[in-house]
Amino acid sequence: MASQLSFTGFAWKNLWRRRLRTLLTLVGITMGIGAFVALVGFSRAFEHEWLRMYTSSGIDLAVVQSNLLSSSIDESLVTKIGAVPDVAQVAPMIFNLMDLTPEVNALAYGWRANTYEFDSITILSGHRFRDGQPEILLGDLLASNLKKKAGDIIPIQGTNFTVAGIFHGGTALEAGAVIMPLDQMQLIAGMEGKVTAFHVKLRPVPAGESYDHYVSRASADIEAALPGIRAVPAAERAANNQIVELAHSVAWGTSAIALIIGILGIANTMAMSVFERTREIGILRALGWKGRHVILLILAEATALGFAGGLLGIGVGWGALRLLSTLPQTASIVSASVAPSHLLESLVIAIASGLLAGAYPAWRGARLSPVEALRYE
Amino acid sequence: MSSPILQACNLVKSYDEGRVEALRGVDVQIDAGEYVAISGPSGSGKSTLLHLLGGLDTATQGQVFFKGSELGKAVNLDSYRSRQVGFIFQAFYLLPTLRAIENVQVAMLAVNQKANHRAERAAALLEEMGLSHRMRHFPNELSAGERQRVAIARALANDPTILLADEPTGNLDSVNSAHIMEILRGIREQRGMTMIIVTHENDIAHNAPRHIRIRDGRIES
Repeated sequence: MASQLSFTGFAWKNLWRRRLRTLLTLVGITMGIGAFVALVGFSRAFEHEWLRMYTSSGIDLAVVQSNLLSSSIDESLVTKIGAVPDVAQVAPMIFNLMDLTPEVNALAYGWRANTYEFDSITILSGHRFRDGQPEILLGDLLASNLKKKAGDIIPIQGTNFTVAGIFHGGTALEAGAVIMPLDQMQLIAGMEGKVTAFHVKLRPVPAGESYDHYVSRASADIEAALPGIRAVPAAERAANNQIVELAHSVAWGTSAIALIIGILGIANTMAMSVFERTREIGILRALGWKGRHVILLILAEATALGFAGGLLGIGVGWGALRLLSTLPQTASIVSASVAPSHLLESLVIAIASGLLAGAYPAWRGARLSPVEALRYE
Repeated sequence: MSSPILQACNLVKSYDEGRVEALRGVDVQIDAGEYVAISGPSGSGKSTLLHLLGGLDTATQGQVFFKGSELGKAVNLDSYRSRQVGFIFQAFYLLPTLRAIENVQVAMLAVNQKANHRAERAAALLEEMGLSHRMRHFPNELSAGERQRVAIARALANDPTILLADEPTGNLDSVNSAHIMEILRGIREQRGMTMIIVTHENDIAHNAPRHIRIRDGRIES
């Protein structure tokens, strides 16, 4: 059987002739896409976990002083918020990040012992903490990382806290979190009489009114009752809080740098390739290849590099996420799950990177005069 | 009487902003099916003339007509090279990463022929060149004579009407030269193609039915 030469087969042979250069270029784009998958995937999973945490707790609105996590509001406002007609329950709370050991940090919550937010978690061992006592609850993942169980002692900022119980939450954020009495949190955070936010649960949605409209109306009522205070829908609070936005910015910024390096790698490879193959392009043009055929060939090679680098990068990025989700230092905020849409997006970016990087070399190759290219030594 | 397949009118080709003139007003007419040899000293402009007739390059002044239509205006140069012209070069110009049979198929990629037809035609042409046992060899595994035969098969791939050969025996020994010329003669007789050969070898030039001598960019006879 005579061997058939296809357009793609020809492109593949051109890439294969310089194996090492092709391999190094692949490494570049793989690292770029890998960084994109891991970092952006991480920041999106982080945001998703936040949203899940709000929704699983039944929180409809977060009442904050501003849209910052460092918001600080008088705890006494709980009465005024509770007086708003559509408000069913109000949970004053403090949220922060805490170093429990030099190696392990955790999301830390200050809750009242009677808050409705306990409905969203399950006590696996021990019991709920008591207000006014130096007691804490540990998420199951955090307890496992710290090798602590109910009854053990953990020193936090000079105070020995007793592990009252181990809980299981529905999200990775909760699994790696520590919860303590609000008053204890206020003491160690120097926030006596202050809270970060009030988590508001509304009464059931009135018949004939949409949820969004209801939440929006309740938000306006709370803001009218408390000038200078914002009542933010839970989904918006999850997406727009400072930590999530910082995670998004760092992820996109770092990925963009890695991707630019990868794109420059492909562009360099294709430019070198066109330069080295000047005479061969002249031969193709002498045989009647149109400029667009040459463009297609070079773009096919660049796109193949982008596609292969994209697939490898997805594997590397996913692997990195899985690894991070198992490390004690990061397990509480990293989820190993990656949305299929993110993988598709990564592949599209990889292919687009190939096309972008191949554009100039392809254009240059197509403009070569056949005779000039044939004379090229 | 045959109609002209190619007609060059007052061709001028200059380089280096006019400081070097390769052709200085060449008029030539080639009839369909004609076998023409062009000879002349090095730098006389014979290869430049061949390139202009084959649409590889464009003239500084003057026109080339293919069957009465002007190249580069009424006739697209890429289409002309891919469908009407087959080139054979002194240096063979095979692609080093492709096997012999793939080198022949490369020419057919320009005209969008079906993959199985490309492979079958390439195999048939190589068989015609006596290379059925060398189809899967790379150029560096072939002798000079074999490489030129692959290049001839490639030139015939799209069944052109004109075969243009630029010093086709320039890199070959006498035995291989004779073999290549025998093949080219056979092709012309069997296919009735128009053939223009640029050569500096007197034997080849004198054996052609028509011999054009060129010197200093002008046709002498």
